[in-house]
Amino acid sequence: MTRFYLFLLNEFKLARTAIPIHMVAILQPSILFLFLSFILVHPTFKVNVSQPLMDEGHVLVEAMEQVGSPIGADYIDPIIVDSKELGDLRQIITVKERDGVPTAVQQYGLIDSNQVKNLRNRLTAAALHLWNAELKGRALSIKEHTWLPYDAPYTVYFGMALLPMAAFVAAAIIGGVLTAQDFELKTTLEYRLSPVSPVLILGARLVRLVLSSLLSACMLLVVAGLVTGFWPGNIWRLGGVLLTIAIMASCMGIILGLLFRSTIPAYISGLSLALAGWIFGGGFALASGFGGVYERISRLTPNAHAVELCFPAFYRVEIGNPLRSALVLIVFSVISLSLLFFTYRWRVTKQAY
Amino acid sequence: MRRFWILLFTEFKAWCRDPITTFGGFIPPTVLLVAFGLLFSGELAFPIAVVNHDSGSSGAVLVETFDEVLSPFNQPYYRVLDLTEPKAWEAFRTQRIDAVWVIPSDFSDRLAAGQHPNIEMHFSNYIDDRAKNHRLYAAEILWRFYEKVGQPAPPLEMAEEYPFPEMVDWFSVIGVGLVLLGVTLGGMFNVFALTYKEQVARITLEFGLSPRSLWGILLPKMVLALVMGLLTGTAIMGILYLWAGIWPGRFLWAVYLLSSLVALFWISIALVFGLQARHYMAAAIVAILTGVIVFFVGGGFSPVRYYSKEVLWFARLFPNTYAIDPLRDLILFHVWPNNWLQTLLIVTGFAVLGVGAGLAVSERRLRRLD
Repeated sequence: MTRFYLFLLNEFKLARTAIPIHMVAILQPSILFLFLSFILVHPTFKVNVSQPLMDEGHVLVEAMEQVGSPIGADYIDPIIVDSKELGDLRQIITVKERDGVPTAVQQYGLIDSNQVKNLRNRLTAAALHLWNAELKGRALSIKEHTWLPYDAPYTVYFGMALLPMAAFVAAAIIGGVLTAQDFELKTTLEYRLSPVSPVLILGARLVRLVLSSLLSACMLLVVAGLVTGFWPGNIWRLGGVLLTIAIMASCMGIILGLLFRSTIPAYISGLSLALAGWIFGGGFALASGFGGVYERISRLTPNAHAVELCFPAFYRVEIGNPLRSALVLIVFSVISLSLLFFTYRWRVTKQAY
Repeated sequence: MRRFWILLFTEFKAWCRDPITTFGGFIPPTVLLVAFGLLFSGELAFPIAVVNHDSGSSGAVLVETFDEVLSPFNQPYYRVLDLTEPKAWEAFRTQRIDAVWVIPSDFSDRLAAGQHPNIEMHFSNYIDDRAKNHRLYAAEILWRFYEKVGQPAPPLEMAEEYPFPEMVDWFSVIGVGLVLLGVTLGGMFNVFALTYKEQVARITLEFGLSPRSLWGILLPKMVLALVMGLLTGTAIMGILYLWAGIWPGRFLWAVYLLSSLVALFWISIALVFGLQARHYMAAAIVAILTGVIVFFVGGGFSPVRYYSKEVLWFARLFPNTYAIDPLRDLILFHVWPNNWLQTLLIVTGFAVLGVGAGLAVSERRLRRLD
């Protein structure tokens, strides 16, 4: 056991040989989250309205203020501007008479269909308020039955789906680079000549990588919690899920290092693997919602299963098939461990110099 | 000139030994492209089911309306799936559809009698933006439905005016930003890769001892990095073409020209850092972070012209800010930018300044022989 602790201590000391890698691997997901949380779509839009000269214009602005979620954010933040022309504005609504009919004319800047859709939808919703008010009993009302009792901000899902990626990227990159360094610095020769069992050497590295991986995920969890105000309910379940991802990623990282035997390709391939798993593993919305080829691909990644298992911890709602997802993660972990020992034997124990 | 070609060929041979290193410039823009593509492109229509219990005909009219209302993407807002009621609820429960609309049996009667007709909308709201879309799309559907069933005219009509006859999607707007990011990062990574190899092999020492000007030695490196940067950008453009059908066509040379001038500025900075940094990874990480920050600040995500003044003064410190909107005019709308000559002059100024300063500082660094 003492020997194992010494190996483990050495593994942690190795961090000094790759400080930038450790910083990137551990901090990158949190930085990515912070960056994207500022630019991710938000339901409230600033909408420029030219200073109304007609009553209909004033009523429209009042209706705009009512457009929103009954259990969430407002959708329109009307900004009254003095200008009647678009000028440098992104968009402007002017209420004026056209052929004797009061009309809200919306002028757009660059023709971006997503912006046009968002702005058009909001104007329609506000104008429908006015129409409904005039129709009275003939107006059609919609009774909303939402899945959750509140509209959850997108950043909550985004942060949650980033957790498996955070756990994966840290272990995969650090594992890949440290293992490749073993070849570059000829440490593998010492390993090969040593009478110590590979289980001890790999075990120490795996434990150290798993801890680094969980540290990265914890940092993201704290950053996301502070930004969104949403904290997971069942921390043990979350920890269990991330642990399997950390084991898988640690194995993958070491395998990449063993295969490439050079730090830069090991780093790049580890990063690519982590990013691919995130993008195709339901990083932006539940994989089941996409359906088709995307969903089939996502089922091959551990991320999609991890996201489905993490979901109840944040939303208090069970989704998918938790038992199947848990089983898949365990099987993936066992396969990764087996592959790791096989590759280690092939590249280190049996390889001649 | 012969010396230049020999050096360029030597640099290329060094590049060929480890081409995977330069993928660092390709991966970040590609990842962002795929991520934004999944977020902002693809099928817009929400898959839903409609359970129509209406004993009259108005419920069927409402169902027809879903297909008739088109968004600016030229697609319906909703794709109504033909599912039985139990299957509809099962699909909703397993998140395979986004919503179930239920039309009650007395819908037509209440509508005709003016007795507050209503429908139920069951929808997913684990992402607030999607919940917002459900509520707003429903307004579009109801507006058209009112027109179809002959409700009295609305008190306020709506009209739209556009500056261009054609519309592009947001993904394409971002995509052009990513092409520029690809050229920039591609160039920077190649410089890092080439200088790193020379530092490791101590060739930089030989450079420093050279009796001739080092500009002739460093220029081939910059040219190769620029070519590789343009190849990276072209690869991103290729993906964008396959994904969104965007290609600059006869304006390709102008896109290359503008992107090259921007990239030269960043390649020069990368050259200086590449010769200073002892660790490839540290330099690569700084490059990625700088590139991504400049992408966001320099109009990569939305047109610079709509930036607030607080951001604009900072954005104007980078050549990307001046080049991005003209690049969008060239790639997305196939028109010459109004301020083409002015843009070209500004960006050329950045490039000349960057290359001059980069070469001078790099030469000084190499002559120190440490």
